Amino acid sequence: MIEAQGLTVTYPGGKGVFGLDFQIGDGKTMGYLGPNGAGKTTTIRALLGFMRPDSGRAAIDGLDCFADAPRIQRRLGYIPGEISFPEKMCGCEFLRFMHAMRGGRGKRSAREEELLALFELDPSGRIDKFSKGMKQKLGIVAALMHDPQVLILDEPTSGLDPLMQNRFIALIHRERARGKTILMSSHGFEEVEKTCDQVLIIREGRIIHEDRAETLRRSRTRTYLLQAAQPARAAAVLAEAGFTVPAAENGSFEIPVAGDAVDRFIKAVATLQVVDLNVKSQSLEELFMRFYRQDGEEDAL
Amino acid sequence: MSLALFAYTARKNSLLLVIFYAVLAFYLAVMISMYNPEDMARITDMLDLFPEDLMQAMGFSQQVSDLTSYLASWLYGLLMLAFPMVYCIILSQRLVARKVDSGSMAYLLATPNSRTRIIVTLGSYALLSVGLLFALLFGTGVALAEWLQPGQLAADRFLQLNITTMLINMLVIMIGFFFSCLCNDASLASGLAAGLPITFLLLNMLGGVSEDYQWLKRWSVYGWFDPLERVRGEMPWTINLIYAAGAAVLFAAAVLIFKRRQLPV
Repeated sequence: MIEAQGLTVTYPGGKGVFGLDFQIGDGKTMGYLGPNGAGKTTTIRALLGFMRPDSGRAAIDGLDCFADAPRIQRRLGYIPGEISFPEKMCGCEFLRFMHAMRGGRGKRSAREEELLALFELDPSGRIDKFSKGMKQKLGIVAALMHDPQVLILDEPTSGLDPLMQNRFIALIHRERARGKTILMSSHGFEEVEKTCDQVLIIREGRIIHEDRAETLRRSRTRTYLLQAAQPARAAAVLAEAGFTVPAAENGSFEIPVAGDAVDRFIKAVATLQVVDLNVKSQSLEELFMRFYRQDGEEDAL
Repeated sequence: MSLALFAYTARKNSLLLVIFYAVLAFYLAVMISMYNPEDMARITDMLDLFPEDLMQAMGFSQQVSDLTSYLASWLYGLLMLAFPMVYCIILSQRLVARKVDSGSMAYLLATPNSRTRIIVTLGSYALLSVGLLFALLFGTGVALAEWLQPGQLAADRFLQLNITTMLINMLVIMIGFFFSCLCNDASLASGLAAGLPITFLLLNMLGGVSEDYQWLKRWSVYGWFDPLERVRGEMPWTINLIYAAGAAVLFAAAVLIFKRRQLPV
């Protein structure tokens, strides 16, 4: 169980997180979303015991995150958002060192071998010569090799190629099935959608939304880029199907489609002669705006 | 103490220690080989050619005759303070501030070791490495003297000299270590860790220029002790206690501060 009660952590500049309240029950997976600088990493620093709350409390399994940090770390796996390894170290040496710092002795554990094989990582060689992806993989192996019960992952897939991202997501699914409690920060909806039960959204240091991942997926809006052979007819068909159709630019439309209207949209588009259909990639900020416009204007940002 | 962290720290910083030991051992060898009892009178005459203030500022005293006093005056007056000071500044910054600044401290803290345990381990390495450096220098000095100037070195007084010099450097490394634990910003930490001991060294040198400025020495940790008086037994051994207590207080303060600090890593 990971919990925050009125958790406030501030930096000298006035930034920070303010009055966070959330609970992640045993065996649950929580996605933690927010734009850069929203306070995701600050929250994680409080959970890891690096930052002491100005007020409120952060606790893991009932233990205070600051005072009982060493006891919590026994059962915790952490992937930092910005991984910085000790200088001039070989990957193997780093893993051995982390193993020893956790009180382990002797050879690599079976679990460590398994993770290295899963991510196809050869940890020999100097870490500062590793690519970004390799460093990320090394961070993942170091965080999970002692098979911790609680996982705190700060943007764990950044730097991984799509294949490895999928492997990581599959790994998280397996960990979830094994009853691990997971907090995973991200600035991408998709990743969180695929892995988490619950989603927590933070903006400017405050939690602005907490919901089931499923609900969020259904209520959110995607923008499709449609290029039709006959733009005028396309506009008419889509308007009839109940979609807002802005003016065409070079014969292509940008059409916002709510999460529960995808089926209706596809069926309407199927009657047209389609030149191209694409999903517009959205920044999280845009996503929030759309999401909240739909949720009600009174929910001011 | 975490043995794993201690072993790792020792491995990563051994080269630094070896380099400083090699340089200082080289100086010891040169100084010992240059010593010649008959020449001491002539050296004294030669020194008269230099401005007296300059010689005193450098910590070189002219009333030396035996090998032990000669080393105390010529080597332990300045070189054995200035070189190890550089070692202390570099090592103290490497141990904590640089790790916090780069963020790699996160990896140490993400293991089941308390902050106190981590800092006590790193600080102990700092102290023990200074201890080892002077133990090696003492051993090397005795061996070199035995070889080059048999029977000239008073090993017991040379030991006393090395013990006090070692304790001064332990105090200096703890000054650096304290700032290293205090500041989030590595450049601020190293600025303070370097600035204060350098100021002490300059005060000590200025204080040696003339009687009028001798009061400056009281403001410098280096000035509380005179190597020549130490080997002549004119300085009470309690000076050792002062240095040791200073180092211990700074170490304890470093641990207490680090334990409560915000670490944005």
